[in-house]
Amino acid sequence: MLVTWQYRIRNSLMETFDPRARWIFSLIFLVSISLFWDVRFLAVFFILAFAWYASARVSFKETRRAWVLIAFILFMMIFIGTIITGGGAAGILPEKTHPVVIWNWTVPLTGWPIVFRLTYERLWFALAQMLRVLAISAIFVIIPYSMDPRLYGFTFRGMGFHDRVAYSMDLAFRYVPTLARDFSVTLDAQRARGYEIERVEGGLIAQIGKIAPLIVPVTMNSIISGEDVTNAMDLRCFGIKPRTWLEKTDFHRRDVYLMIFTGVMLIASIVLSTVFHFGVFWMPAWLIPA
Amino acid sequence: MNKKSIWSFGTREVVYSAIGAALYAVLSWATNFLQIPAAGNVAFRPAVAIPMFFGVVFGPIVGFISGFLGNIIGDLLSGYGFWPWWDLANGIMGFVAGLVVLAGLKGYKGWSNIFKAEVFIVIGVLVAAAEAAASEIWVSGVDVPTTIATNFVPTIIPNLINGLILVPILMVAYDAIASRSGR
Amino acid sequence: MDREPYITVDKLTFQYHSRTEPAISDISFKVYPGEVLLIAGSSGCGKTTLMRCINGLIPHTYRGDMSGEIRLLDKPVSEMAMSDLSQTVGTLLQDPERQIVGSYVRNEVAFGLENLGFSREEIIRRVDETLEYLGILHLRDRETFSISGGEKQKVALAGVLVMQPKVLLLDEPLASLDPSSAHEALKLFRDLADKGIAVVIVEHRVEDVLSINPDRVLYLDAGKQEYYGDSSGLMKVVDYHRIKLPARIIMERAKTEQVIEFKPLLSPQAGEALVKFDHVSFRYREDLPDVLHDVSFQVGKGDVIAILGHNGAGKTTLVKHALGLLKPTDGRVLLEGKDTRKVTVAQAAHTIGYVFQSPTQMLFAPSVKEELAFGPKNLRYTPDTIQKNVDWAIHTVHMEAELETPPLALSFGQQKRVSIASILSMRSRILMMDEPTAGQDYWNYNQFMDAILQMPGFDSVLFITHDVDLAVVYANRILLVFGGQIVADGSPAEVLKDKEQLRRCRVLPTTLLQVNEQYYEQTGRFLRAEELAKRI
Repeated sequence: MLVTWQYRIRNSLMETFDPRARWIFSLIFLVSISLFWDVRFLAVFFILAFAWYASARVSFKETRRAWVLIAFILFMMIFIGTIITGGGAAGILPEKTHPVVIWNWTVPLTGWPIVFRLTYERLWFALAQMLRVLAISAIFVIIPYSMDPRLYGFTFRGMGFHDRVAYSMDLAFRYVPTLARDFSVTLDAQRARGYEIERVEGGLIAQIGKIAPLIVPVTMNSIISGEDVTNAMDLRCFGIKPRTWLEKTDFHRRDVYLMIFTGVMLIASIVLSTVFHFGVFWMPAWLIPA
Repeated sequence: MNKKSIWSFGTREVVYSAIGAALYAVLSWATNFLQIPAAGNVAFRPAVAIPMFFGVVFGPIVGFISGFLGNIIGDLLSGYGFWPWWDLANGIMGFVAGLVVLAGLKGYKGWSNIFKAEVFIVIGVLVAAAEAAASEIWVSGVDVPTTIATNFVPTIIPNLINGLILVPILMVAYDAIASRSGR
Repeated sequence: MDREPYITVDKLTFQYHSRTEPAISDISFKVYPGEVLLIAGSSGCGKTTLMRCINGLIPHTYRGDMSGEIRLLDKPVSEMAMSDLSQTVGTLLQDPERQIVGSYVRNEVAFGLENLGFSREEIIRRVDETLEYLGILHLRDRETFSISGGEKQKVALAGVLVMQPKVLLLDEPLASLDPSSAHEALKLFRDLADKGIAVVIVEHRVEDVLSINPDRVLYLDAGKQEYYGDSSGLMKVVDYHRIKLPARIIMERAKTEQVIEFKPLLSPQAGEALVKFDHVSFRYREDLPDVLHDVSFQVGKGDVIAILGHNGAGKTTLVKHALGLLKPTDGRVLLEGKDTRKVTVAQAAHTIGYVFQSPTQMLFAPSVKEELAFGPKNLRYTPDTIQKNVDWAIHTVHMEAELETPPLALSFGQQKRVSIASILSMRSRILMMDEPTAGQDYWNYNQFMDAILQMPGFDSVLFITHDVDLAVVYANRILLVFGGQIVADGSPAEVLKDKEQLRRCRVLPTTLLQVNEQYYEQTGRFLRAEELAKRI
């Protein structure tokens, strides 16, 4: 079993930015967009997010699986939110709403009432929710495809993490292929003993316990090897003084511009939403029936 | 063995954080992404026991990094993106499980030790769920009933069941190797 | 000698806090610049502890009581800081896989210098120099995961040499190498000594190390120094059952000793093929080259087959096909007449029991008993049969006393025996073993190979090895594998005759093979050295 990272070099516009700048932009974007429920502002963020996404030059085919999952979750949020709460949406919507339809229904036998109440506000809010979730998704889905795994440790070091924490990341990436191989060896070794993971039998506990022959050897083996790894690192002076990181990325002028933009985005968002109260739910007046 | 603070973070902790994270990522990827139908449909993520177990054995910080970083790497492998509040929730599960040391864990087998660990696993899963739910409510604008329906049922229950069943199995196995180190 | 010794060990004793006995006691020796010291001993002799005393892990990370003295370049180790130590002593751990912490070769080699805070330019210069010296500059930008075992060791060594140590400690450096890579590695170690480094090699493959003429040999047994002197004296004192010596020396010494004869139970018989490979080719992906190419052979009743070849020749891929863990891309594999594409691995396990190389990759149960019952339970045997099989298997490996012990708490040698027993308990007709000697010391593997091949219960036994002697002593047939093809198939005497072909296949003839060939007309079959001594 060979693991493969989703990352590869694509000679894209996004890759010309320093990874640290990209991380900071992405996280600040999350904070900024989360201050708004106004579709007009969300639309701006939405366009910005997909422009950013497009700059990575990743084909839809590669990210399809992630988008299917996001679409499913989004659908559940909107659908269940609509059915169960009938348009409350966590106190974001105004108290007075205008129904499109109201259905009352009782669950047979138990007698539980179910009210399906679809309102104009709820529909408009669903649009806002969709814009917001999709914009955030665009920013974050692209990360595995555009960020070189070998730069994670260094990048996080550059963002202020301690050497040791940052190196944990590098080391974790180092072990991913090794453990994937160990896992497949163990799977083969147990299959050679007649173990069939696909056979479902027994109760809940027995079913979950069935993973033990795989998970126990791989885990214990890696823990035992950890002792040697620790020695190997101590013997080469890990953690006794601030380390030099061989990996290096440079902050260029365009990174500075990106950071200025990010700062402006954050400040503008805070000012617009808290001082001018533009963040709250908004709906065009002509849409609300008299 | 000299007693160290549960908050110390030396080479050994760096190594086990990294191994825990890589293991969590690889196992979630292998059992979920590759659709090995491990243990039917209930346990769609048995790997979640890994950060909890690493927390119990190596302390809260190792538990946290295993869960937090492991979830990030798992998503990198599957291409699902980067979801900071869910990564944090995974970290919390490992972290809280690691706090069991404060309850006076005296080894890794026997009912009393396992029971203590189980209590902290349950607390960890619930705290993590609360954090994730609060983030979802803030970020996605869903309300409490919706987040329960979309998050509680599909994630909390499997996490609890997997943790409660698999962590003790791993603890008992670890007890057998724990004595072999001369440190 | 007017030079100062690099290492001085004087009456060294050490006991871990967690143990009741000292791990090593009363050890004394010196190593001078440019010398190679061989520390010989079987597992558990205290060599790991001794190494930790020299490289400073004791007392820096491992706690215990130490007496006596240990000095590096005339400074006591206990007074040196880890940063000084690391630039004085370089340690290569047994398993390069565990030593390598970088994802890419360049990062791995740079690791120590990064930690010491050297400038980037200095690091890059030194890394390139070191890689160049070891002849692996071409690997610099490769992933450490994807390079071969021999290359991994060189990369790990580069990571140590880049710190420019005066002393080099090598912990069983040959363990993960096939004989021809081991030979190259040893030449390199001698070369390093010639450059003025003091080299300490800890190894139980003594015969191999002797080929580079170590200046001194220290023989450890149960933590005590049994011998310290030149290599010729060693041959007279060590137990040749525990430490492998050159065949002629064993023969010389065995003349006067009682020898237990090895009586193989199986011999080739005519009849139906148990396993048949029919023009099998295999590749992992359509766009990748063949790993196996047009392989045809069959396994019959009574065959004891050594699948011989260097690391990466395709041996493991080959045997995985027999069990159906891999299915051929072209051709077919028949197991008792049935195509492996049409049977599940679990069904195939009734016919073939496959022992994987490392026991730690399969042991999981809370007790040995449950571990042994796992296979037969999966195969849906009745509780009575399972009980009977478990009893038989545990008896075969002589581990009745450990039935209730967790397998993970056992020593590595015992774990290996449990892993074999857990396959035996399925009572498959054929036993297949991948590198049965890996990680085992000489005495251990001879013990269980003897036991397995002298016990009834199998129609045929196959084992993968890169060790010619294992094939010489135990096999009645050899398949020589190279580049994914079978280049020779026949009796050991036939296959091992063509030295040119062996060399091409990166298989090294041994002293045992030489003496056996010399006396072949008298004996009619290959024997181990001590038996040979009695026959001639």
